[in-house]
Parts: sequence; C-alpha cells; structure tokens
Amino acid sequence: MKFIHAADLHLDSPFLGLTGLPASLATTVRESTFTAATKVFDRALSEHVDFVLLAGDLFDRAEQSVAAQAFLFTQFARLDDAQIPVIVSFGNHDYLTEQAVTYPTNVTVLGEHVTTTTLQLASGETVAVSGFSYPQRWVSDDPLAAYPVHAATNWHVGMLHGAVTTGSQDHYAPFTVAELLRKRYDYWALGHIHHRQSLNDQPPILYAGNTQGRAVTETGAKGAYLVHSQDGQLVPEFFPTATVIWETAQIDLDGTDLAALNEELIDWLAAHPADQPTLTAISLTTSAPLSVAEQQRLASGDWLQLFQRTHQRQLKAAQRYIVRLSLDETTAAVPAPNLDQSYWELGAKTVFTAANRQKLFGKLAQEPALAAWFDRPETAASLETAARRRLTQLMGEEGQDES
Amino acid sequence: MNLKRLTIYGFGHFHDRTFDLSSGLNFLVGPNEAGKSTLTQFITAIFFGFPTKKHPELRYEPLDGSRFGGAITFQQDNTTYTVTRTDGPKGGTVTLHDDTTNLDLPAALLTKLLAPVDGQLFTRVYAINEPRLGTVFTASKQELVDRLRHVGAVGSEYWLQQAQRLDQAADDRYKPQGRNPLLNQQLREHQELSAKLAKANGAYQTYWQLRQQQVDGESQQRSLQATLTQQRQATTRLTQLLAQWPTYQQWVALAPAAEAVSHGFTATDATRLEQLRSAATASEQTLTDDQQRFAELQRDQQLPPLFDQYLPVADKLDALAQRLPQVQGSQQEAQRLVTSQRDLEQRAGILEQQYAVNGQMPRPFSLATTQQVRQLTGELTTANQKRRRLQQQLNQRNEQFRQVQPTRQQHHNPLADKQVGWLAAGLVVLVGAMFLPNTFLKLAGALLGVAVGYYGVFLVDSSTPASRQLDELTEDIRDLQAQLREGGQAVDALTNQLDAIGDAHGMSQVPLEQWSAAQSAIAEWERLTRLLETTAEQAATQQATVQQFLQEATTILPALADQDFAAVASQLMQLQATRQALSHQETDVAALATRLQADQAAVERGKRELQAFLRTRNLSDVAAFYQQYQADRTQTERQQQRQTLATQIGSDNLTTLQQQTSQTALQQQVTMAQQKQVTTQATLDQTTSHLATLQGQLAHLTASGTQATLRQKLADLETQMTQTAATWLTERLVSQWISAALAAASGDRLPQIVAQASEFYGKLTENRYTKIELTPTTLRVQRATGDWRNVGQLSRGTAEQLDLAVTLAFAVVMNRQVQMPLIIDDGFVNFDEARRQAAYRLLATIATDVQVILLTADESVTTHTTGTGKVLRLTE
Repeated sequence: MKFIHAADLHLDSPFLGLTGLPASLATTVRESTFTAATKVFDRALSEHVDFVLLAGDLFDRAEQSVAAQAFLFTQFARLDDAQIPVIVSFGNHDYLTEQAVTYPTNVTVLGEHVTTTTLQLASGETVAVSGFSYPQRWVSDDPLAAYPVHAATNWHVGMLHGAVTTGSQDHYAPFTVAELLRKRYDYWALGHIHHRQSLNDQPPILYAGNTQGRAVTETGAKGAYLVHSQDGQLVPEFFPTATVIWETAQIDLDGTDLAALNEELIDWLAAHPADQPTLTAISLTTSAPLSVAEQQRLASGDWLQLFQRTHQRQLKAAQRYIVRLSLDETTAAVPAPNLDQSYWELGAKTVFTAANRQKLFGKLAQEPALAAWFDRPETAASLETAARRRLTQLMGEEGQDES
Repeated sequence: MNLKRLTIYGFGHFHDRTFDLSSGLNFLVGPNEAGKSTLTQFITAIFFGFPTKKHPELRYEPLDGSRFGGAITFQQDNTTYTVTRTDGPKGGTVTLHDDTTNLDLPAALLTKLLAPVDGQLFTRVYAINEPRLGTVFTASKQELVDRLRHVGAVGSEYWLQQAQRLDQAADDRYKPQGRNPLLNQQLREHQELSAKLAKANGAYQTYWQLRQQQVDGESQQRSLQATLTQQRQATTRLTQLLAQWPTYQQWVALAPAAEAVSHGFTATDATRLEQLRSAATASEQTLTDDQQRFAELQRDQQLPPLFDQYLPVADKLDALAQRLPQVQGSQQEAQRLVTSQRDLEQRAGILEQQYAVNGQMPRPFSLATTQQVRQLTGELTTANQKRRRLQQQLNQRNEQFRQVQPTRQQHHNPLADKQVGWLAAGLVVLVGAMFLPNTFLKLAGALLGVAVGYYGVFLVDSSTPASRQLDELTEDIRDLQAQLREGGQAVDALTNQLDAIGDAHGMSQVPLEQWSAAQSAIAEWERLTRLLETTAEQAATQQATVQQFLQEATTILPALADQDFAAVASQLMQLQATRQALSHQETDVAALATRLQADQAAVERGKRELQAFLRTRNLSDVAAFYQQYQADRTQTERQQQRQTLATQIGSDNLTTLQQQTSQTALQQQVTMAQQKQVTTQATLDQTTSHLATLQGQLAHLTASGTQATLRQKLADLETQMTQTAATWLTERLVSQWISAALAAASGDRLPQIVAQASEFYGKLTENRYTKIELTPTTLRVQRATGDWRNVGQLSRGTAEQLDLAVTLAFAVVMNRQVQMPLIIDDGFVNFDEARRQAAYRLLATIATDVQVILLTADESVTTHTTGTGKVLRLTE
C-alpha cells in the first residue's frame, strides 16, 4: 500500500514581505502554491498511490480564491480519473462551511466530528482513515477522545490538523503525542505546522509541513510525504514540491562600509548558488559599526534596491533574490545625543509613549494591514531604534555643520 | 541680560564711540542718518557675528578705515561680560571677557551665554523696526511657536530646520488629509486594490453560484438526456413502425402464399452446381492458359499447329492411332470393295442393259419352266427348222418363182399392211414408254417401241409369194406356205407359250434364242447382285469403321474434321511421329504437354461431373436446373421474405403494427412524439448552451488570475506601506522628539505670551481692541465691541501695534528665561500721537523687567517722557 500525506497547501495565498520582485520571479511566486500542489498530485498519479491524505489548510477560506477552488476541482478530477481516493480534513484556514457544490466522488471530506473512512485497496488490503474537519477557525478541545482505536483493518491512519498542547492559547485541536500513540494507529498524518517535523518515528507521527514556503519564516525544502508499507510498518519518504525556497543567511562582514558589503555580498552569492529560485533574507554582522549614514541607507532599503538592480546577473546566476538585508542591531549602536541630553531625554519621555504613537498613528490605525504591524510588540522598539538612529544621524550632521 | 556699554571701534560712520546704557528704558535720539539702524546692526553684529563679505552693505565696515568692530559690555546673572568682535574669519574674531572675575573666556561660550537666542531670533524678535513690525501681516501661530522654540535650546534653529525638514519629509510620506504623499498614495492604492480584490472576491460567490448552477444544470442535463433518450426511443420505435408500415403491408400481402409447399433443389445443389461449373470453367481456363502457353512454346518449338490441339487428347488419340493400321486395312478393303462393287455394278449394269426390260431384269426360270422352255424351244427349233426348211423350200420355190416371175410390185403390196401395223404398235409402245417414270424405263420402253416397229417391218416379212411356176410353185409355195403357216402356227403356239413364259418372267423382249444366255446372264446378274450387296455391305462396314475412326478422331481432335481419312491418317501419324520425337526430349513443352493433358483430363472430368450432376437430377442442362431451382427458390424466397419481413419488423413491432388501424394514425403518433422530442431537445440545447456559458464563465473566473495577482500585489503593497509608515512614524517621532526637546527647553509660553500681548494691545490701542487670538494660520483680534478682525482688516498702524504688542509680550514673557534687551528702531512712525505716547508709556512699564533701547528721531521723547528713561543723543 502506498499513499501521499500532504498538508497546508495554502493555495493561492500571497507571499509576505516582498516588494519589487522581478516580473518573472513574481509570476513563479504567484503560481508557486499551485505548482507545489500540482507536484503532489502528479506524484500521486505517477506512483499510482492508493489514496491521498490532505491534512487541512488546503486553501484560506478568507481569501475567497476562485483559482484555489477551481484548481482543487481540476486536480481532484485528475485523481478521480485515475480512481485515486482523496481524503480531506479541513483545518483552521479552510474550515467547513455549507458548500452546496461537492468535490468529485473520489473525494471524502471528513465531517466536523471524527469519522472513519474505510478504503478497500486494489491489493485487497483495507485501510481505515480517521479524522475530522474544523467547523470554524478554532477548535480548542482535544479531539483525541473521539478517535477510535485501531480498527479491524490492515492499516489505520489518523488525520489531524492541530498543534501539540502547550497549556494556554491552544486553539488548534491541542493534543499530546502520548494520546496519539495510545490509539495504536499505523500512521498519523498531521497538518497545521508549516515546518516539516516528526513527532514519533514508529509509528510515524508527522507534520508534512506546507508544500510551499510563503514567508521568510518558512525556510528550507517544502513538500509532502510518500508513505509505503514495508514489513508491516509504514515508511514515509519526503519529496520536495516547492518551486521557490526561502532561506535566511548570516554574513559576517569584514569591511566596515557599504563598498565592502557590495564586494562581499557578490562573493557570497558566487559561493552560495541556490538549486532553485531562492528568496534570501540576509542578516549582517560587522566587525565595526557602519557609519550612521550608511546604516541609514541600509535601513531605508535604498542600498539593497540599488544592489539588486546593479547585480541582477549575479543574483540570477545564484538563483537568489534578496528579500531583506538587515544589520544585526547589536552592531548598529546608536551614539547617545551628547548635547542637551536632559532635554532630549525629557522629550523622549513625552514622545515615545504608546499614547503618542497611537495618536500619531491616528487614522492609519484604521488600515488593518498597518494596524497589524503597528500592534506588533516589537514595532514600538524598532520605531524608537529607528528614531534614535535618525536623530544620531542628524546630530552628526549638526556636528559637521559646526566644524 | 542688559547692555551696559556699547564701544564702537569702527562701524558704519561711527568710530570710537561709547554709549553707556541704563538697565531700563533708553532713548537714543537722533535725526535721520544719525545712525540708528547702524547701531542696531552693531549690537547684532557684535553678538552674532559680522555678515559675510558677500553682503558688504550689511557689514557696515568703517568708512574712514578705523578698526572694524567694537565691544559690548553686558550684565547677565550678576556677571559682567565684555565681548569684542573685530574683523576676522567666520563672522569676526571674538573675545569674551568676564569683567566680574576679570577672566578671558572661550569665545564659544558667548553662544551659550546668548542661548537660546541666535542671530535670527534676535533680529526677528528683539531688534524691532518699522519694516519688521510689518511682518505681523504674515505672522502666524507657527511662526510664534517657532520663535518660542527658538529660545529653547542652543542650535535650535538647526533643530527647528531639521524638525521642519522631517515634518516636510513626513508630510511627503503621509498627510492624514493629503492626496499626494507616498503613504496616502499607497493607502489609496491599497484601497483601490482592496476594492478590486473585494470585487474579485465577489467572483468567489459568483464562482460558487456558477458551480451550483453548473451542478444543477448538469443534473438537469442528465435528466433531460434520459428523457430525450426515452423520447428518442419512442420516436424511433414509432418511426420504425411507420417505416415498417409498407413492409408490414408486404407481409400482409405475402400471407396467403405462405401455404404453398415446394420441392426442388436446395441451395446446396445450386452451390454444388456452381462449384462444378466454376471448377469446369477453371479447368478450361487453366487449359486455355496452358494451351496459350503451349502455343507460344510451340511457336518456339516450331511444332505443327495441330500438335497443341493434339496434346490434350493425346492418350485418346494415341489409342486411336493404334487402330490406325487396322483401319487403314479397312480403308483399303473398303476401297477394294468399292472398286469391286463398281466392277460388279458395271457388270450387272451391262447385264441389266442387255436384259432389263423397262429397267427390270427378267426373272430366272424355274427348273420346270426351263425344262418346258427347253422342250418348247426344242419344239420351236424343230418347228423353225422345219419352217426354215420349208422356207428354204419356199425360197427355192420363190426363187424359182421369181425366176419365173420376178416382179417386184407384187412384192411390195403384201408387205405394206403388216408393216404399218407393226410400226403403229412400235409407235404406241414408244409414246407409251415416254410416260414411264424412270429414265431407264423410258429408254427401255423406247427401245421396245423401236424393236416392235422393226419387228413389224422387217421380221414379219418372211413369207414371200411364189411365181408362176408359180402355181406349182405356188402350190408348193402354198403348200409350203400352208406348211409354213401350219409350222408358223405351231411356232406361234410355241412362241405364244414361250412368250407367255417370257412375259411371265419379263423375258418378252429377249429373243428366245437368247433365253438360255439370258437366263444364265440373269443368274449371273443375280449372283452379281447378291455379291454386290455383300460387297456393299462389307464396304459399308469397312467405311463405317473408317468413318467411325474419323468420327472419333474428329471428336477428339476437331481440327481433323472435314478431312479425308488419308489426310487424317497422315496427320495422325505425323502427330505420333512428333510426339515420339518430343517424348525423347525433356522440355518444357513436354511438361506443358503433360500438363495440358492433365488439364484436358480435368476439363473432361469437370464436364463429366457436371453431366453426372445434371443426369442424377434428370436435367438436360444447367439452364433447366436453374429454371427449376429458380422457381423453387422464388417459392422459398417468398416464404423467407415473409419470414424476413416478419423478422425485420420484429415480433413486438408486428404485434403493435397489427394493432394499428392505419398509417395516418401512426404518422400522427410519430409527429406527436417528434414534437415532444423537439421540445425536450430545445430545452436540452438551452441547458447545454447554458452549461457551456457557465463553463466559459467559470473558466474566465478561474483563468483571470486577478485575485491572486491582486492579493500578492496587496501583500507587497502592505509591505511597502508598512515600510513607509515606519519611516513616516520615525520622522514624525524624531520631529516630535525635537519639538519636545525644544519645548522642554522653551516651556510652554505661548498662552502667556498671547495673554500678555492682549493686555499690551489693549494699552496700545487705548482699549479699542481687547483680545488677541491665535488661529492655526494667523492672528485675529477682538474689538471692544466684541467683533473679530483679521490682521488683514487692520490699518497699517494698528497692525504694527499688534505686532509690537506680540513682540513685547514675547520679550516680557520670555524674559524669565531669556533676558535680552529690546531694541526698537524708530518703530512707531505709523502710530498716531496718542498711541505713540501710549507705546512710550508701555515701554516704560516694560522697561522695569526688560532693558529697552528705543532709537528714535522723535525729539518729543525728551520732553514727554522725562523721568521714564535715559536719553542719549546719537549726534554729538
């Protein structure tokens, strides 16, 4: 028996934190969630798997993507043609709703309560698949109690979209590995966590991870598992599907200015070519702080933009696009204002307050996207850091004017 | 801070002048050109630096060449400082001296001492002149605020500039009410994109609706298709029935014939016949081909043309050829027999010619008759001998008689009667013979006629009368004649007897003396005739043998037809010889010849089989077979046709058709069914087209990619917006920070200043105006009557008074933080007398807190303000 375990396709969801991608890459990026999912289904067809498990978050219901739905219809129909059953348990993003139009007959969408579907394979083996779909965004209760123990079938596979219990704020079907093991299933197909990981070796309890990384936090190879039986056990084999990879890199800068950075970055690109289009976020450490002005140029992103434009060829050769170039804050020390320090600190006390920030932010708070960013806890600190850097820069200029 | 002494080394037209000032109100009086403006500029220059040499008109360098610069002794915080500034780089060379402690201080300290007042603030606030008072027209809250901030920190001007620049930059990024700033644009774009996305998301609902419609449509389509299929089947069935109506009618028509029973040949027979025929035909074809090939070969081999014909029949012909010598014998025998026959015929013919009467041979006598005839003949001979003797006697007598009476006439007459009678009888026989059927008989008849005539004329003339001696003679003669007559009568009797016998035996024409010969000839003829018959028989037999041989040969080899035996025999022998010759050679011809034989055998076998086939069926030929077979078949076919028709119609249909009343009724049913079908089809078409449209719409929705693009654009834009917002916030925060720092340094004096200014303005305008208010853009004033006036609505004087009030208020309020003398350069020229006096009075009041240096050309101050201030004259 052979099946595919995939999760978190997140079809048609946008990539976050990108600006000014080259058009070709932008297209690749836009289509990447589809391309990745297609690879999953292609593999299912080429391997003639017995069935396909999709452990939630196939799409984001809030996105209302026609393309995602149409894509699923098309792909499910492909599998239907090959008579490959698909079992879907919806997760927190694609939670169940009253949807009159059903998928092709080979697709089983698990209900909001744990249900067990039994499949009769061509080999004569029987497989029971237990799981459920989220009826809304949050499922705060541990659903494991509702899962049956190993059925009288050759195999029993559990599907679960959720996260291990942490003790608080557990909105995503919290569970413990011990609970899963108690069910004595042959395999647990987990979804929700985008980072591929194994919670238990045998029986395998696995997060397939998402099929395509969509933000700088989702780095590395992304894909799904092809699981096959071997000596009475189920053996998962990872296969990559992502067309665009996210990566973070740390570069220790020998030089102390942007000219040096330019050189070293080119060298680094030449030394670290990627196998496939890779969105790279680079953080820099410097042996000595850059000048305030240069820090400013880096922080504003102007320098990176110019670099990308100037070194398109090298970037293309390395198959990399640098999405972010950040200075390690520890090296970006802000010299304290040395003049009228008391006044500045007095001013700072009135300016850097939540109320003032809120007031200043004003109507912008009505913009959800900005509000989300603004409400992030680290935003205040980063704003103050930026302001101090800017002030320091101005002080420096003042000093220059006087001298 | 108050200025104690101004020491001018050289500045404008002043040189080596010293002005000692009081800490209160000082009137520096001088006419125009006395140097009031120069003095103002001097104080500014010493404190804040000479203007650059780019602006020589502002530098007031001494015209007489004395040392440029001067010194100001001032008191601040109970310490007296003297600052000197002489010509030098960067605003002049500055020295600072603490007079109290008598210490030289670093020049840089001056700025700190003056802080937060800088040159700009000083000229704008503390050095008042008439043109500058006019600036009130442009005065705004911001300006006032700026002025206030100015005093907050050292280098405030720079920071204000920076704050302003930051604000400008921030404004370029975002203005809550703006349109063009970056973030506004981005927000707008975001809004548009969001709207677009919302619209695109609207497609999501549409998508599901369309999907729903598609599912509904498909189910409808399926049900319609099922209905249509049913209706089609019904229509088809009805149409079939309709189409079968004629067939059905045929079937009905064929019904009676179905009873007839028929015997005959089966299809197997026909097949067999066909097989046989085709086998025969094939064999013939093979034969023809081989013959053709053989002919070709023959041409090559130069074989006799007959040989190829011979070959197929060789074995038969060879068998025949073996009989050839025998047949040749037969032929020769036949020829011999024919020759002998001809000989016999000739001989018989001679005999016939000789003896045949009327073409008929006399009959032979029987033994008795022969005996009788011999006797009779003997008697007759005897009689005749007697008669001859008598005749001789008679003749002698007659000779004697002639000798006696040789007359001829007598001779003549007795003859005539008898001769005519014989001639007439011969003529009758001759003519009668002409009517006989056979030429031979005619001839025989004619001869007989002639013979009778001849006999009558010549033979009957036997008795000739005697002469005279006659009597005797005559007697003799007569006797003789009588004897003769007697003898004649006996002869006649005998002759009659013989004639009767001759007549009876057809020998009447044969002279009696020849009878014996005739009889033997007849016997011979008889023998010949019999021999001839035998010979002819034998010849016929032999000829038949030959003929049969020929016949057989011709049958076998048609080419031999119409040829005589000799030719055939020679050809046969030639063929044999050729074959003999060929048989010694192993050639293709031989093989082909063999094959031709085989072919021939096959052909014959085929023919035989065919014949056998026909014979066993008692048929003459193939046509007869077919005729009968056809008849039989027609019958069977008729039956089969009916059965076929029944099958064709189908038992169900047949039953249904039998229930149908008429074709018209059926036609109506068909039409109705078709109409129903058309309606259903139309609905189905509509559904299908609707589905196609849906499919198209769905495809369009799916393919547009708008949503994804928009979403990614939006995500990207949000990233940009966040960056812009962060930068904007940073700028605003920094600006605010600067402002806050400045504010912290300056305190929040504005309300106090405004309140003070209101009070001062009231005093200056003799309480015509009672209140000043700062608006976001400018100032406005309230008249005592309560109504408000904008600056623009004030007269020049009143406006200048407003500015003075504000300036004085500023100086007074700020005095607690910044003590800087007020230098008023002829500021009241536009004031009327009353208000000028009011101004003087106000200045006098202020001077208790703030040092006031009033430079004026108004001599009246010296009299009107006695006691309120120190008067110095600019002119010596």
